[in-house]
Amino acid sequence: MMIVKSNQEQDKKTIADKKVSEKLIGEMRKYNEQLANAGVLLDLSGLQGSSHGTRIKFSPGGKKTVVDGPFTESKELVAGFWIIDVKSSEEAIEWANRAPAPHGPDQESEIEVRQFIELEDYLPDEAIEKYEQVARIRLEKLSQMKREARKSG
Amino acid sequence: MRFMMMIKMKKDPVAGKGPSKEAFEVMGKYNEQLAKSGVLLDMGGLQPTTKGAKIKFSTDGKKTVVDGPFTESKELIVGYWVIQVKSLEEAIEWAKRAPLQHGSDDDCEIEIRQFFEIEDFPETERVKAAKDAGKKAGDVYKEMANDARSQQK
Repeated sequence: MMIVKSNQEQDKKTIADKKVSEKLIGEMRKYNEQLANAGVLLDLSGLQGSSHGTRIKFSPGGKKTVVDGPFTESKELVAGFWIIDVKSSEEAIEWANRAPAPHGPDQESEIEVRQFIELEDYLPDEAIEKYEQVARIRLEKLSQMKREARKSG
Repeated sequence: MRFMMMIKMKKDPVAGKGPSKEAFEVMGKYNEQLAKSGVLLDMGGLQPTTKGAKIKFSTDGKKTVVDGPFTESKELIVGYWVIQVKSLEEAIEWAKRAPLQHGSDDDCEIEIRQFFEIEDFPETERVKAAKDAGKKAGDVYKEMANDARSQQK
């Protein structure tokens, strides 16, 4: 997962405020195309500002506290992400390094590269079966949703 | 509406101290509930930041690669779910039901963030093209789901 970190200034911006330069949009689109054409891109998305978000804090003892956004104290907000499937972490870093500066060249920014835990990494067999079962249910629900969407649309 | 529920912790989980079998089963049950109710789109667990890296983009165009672990960070993402629900309230309900158990002083939280959807953007030529591409991708997804199902039989 290549996570684009946000900052307080970016987090406040709405789509209408985001007068992102045509140049950056073009560069980002080209980069996304490169990822897709290379066959490594699994998913990508952008997240709304944290004012649309909520946090649930889980404390020892089982207490849960709901805190509404925006999270103005946070230095670690996520703006968006790509999920890629590559052969090594070096290759992932290589891809992240080729990304255009996510908030434009006149702003500091950061992309965090993190590796997924794969089922075969260290989980017990029984658990893997459980997860595969969940994956099957998901797949079924997904195709059901698509069928319904097609019927209504 | 799509939401990402990110599990954030203050520190990386201790190596070799994975979740207990019980915790794993309880989490498996929760995932199953998400899947069966048709809200689960994706989920994943991330390896500790020792296996990660950051690329920092400076305003002078310089890029710096920093290897993990990110010990200075207080908000590390350990995993996430992507769900499709009708409202933020529904997402909060789901997040509150997540069986996160922590016996230590590592407070743990779930941050809920809303995705940008293509409908959020002004209807330009490009957005229209993206919507068409999305429809095509949906069809491909459906075919994939059907293929997977027929292979199971």
